Amino acid sequence: MIEWLSMGLLLVGAGFFFAGTLGLLRFPDVYSRLHALAKADNLGLGCVLAGLALTADSLAAALKLLLIWPLALAASAAVSFAIARRAQALGIAPWRREERQE
Amino acid sequence: MMVLVFDGLLACALLWSAWRALATPRLDRAIVFFIAFGLLMSLAWARLSAPDIALAEAAIGAGLTGALLLDAYGAISRRKGGK
Amino acid sequence: MTTLAFLVALFLLANLVVALIAAARGPTSADRMLMALLFGTTGTGILVLLSATGMGTALVDVALVLALLAAISGIAFAKRAWQAEENGHD
Repeated sequence: MIEWLSMGLLLVGAGFFFAGTLGLLRFPDVYSRLHALAKADNLGLGCVLAGLALTADSLAAALKLLLIWPLALAASAAVSFAIARRAQALGIAPWRREERQE
Repeated sequence: MMVLVFDGLLACALLWSAWRALATPRLDRAIVFFIAFGLLMSLAWARLSAPDIALAEAAIGAGLTGALLLDAYGAISRRKGGK
Repeated sequence: MTTLAFLVALFLLANLVVALIAAARGPTSADRMLMALLFGTTGTGILVLLSATGMGTALVDVALVLALLAAISGIAFAKRAWQAEENGHD
């Protein structure tokens, strides 16, 4: 039962990673790419970590796996915030639908 | 089979990023490819079951050297812009 | 289980390589630096999955260090290296 749950979580995590990569490839500007990467990839990482923690050998190993997630969340939130604020300070305009038809 | 695909993909990505880091004319792009090379290299050390070297590569190669190179590039281009 | 973990790791590596090639062609330098963010999460995922395939629990430590230090180079880029003159044009 736990085995199946863990496998399902791994597959769901892979799906979220795929969504993040797809967003990086297809989205039009820096802000929306940041949005795709920072959220989808971190959710995928969380699913993968939870799936592996379910089948970990000991409680300590499972907790260590789960500890990675808040650290990765904090790190990627800091980087996304810094990049987005710098992009705004440099005057990069967010994408609008009209600009596409020029 | 799967292992072979994984290692081959990793090796190809390593060679490609190393080539781009050496051959790219613009300095900022070369630095970014150098960082990518360091991260891929740490994955490769992990695959070669040498986690200690992977740890050092991730910390020094990708983190600190990358940050120092980016900082130096920023200082150079600021000096050029101020002239 | 181990096979599935390795398959997912292979899938993540393929994602990483595709995004690396795409980011290398991105129009602004910020697109290239999104790669650091991507490596932070995807590389961490690959390392954790590899450690689950029986390559030793020490890889979890490598994953921790990678998650934290990929952020440092991203922030160094945003704060120090990204100047106004070099965005927009290719």
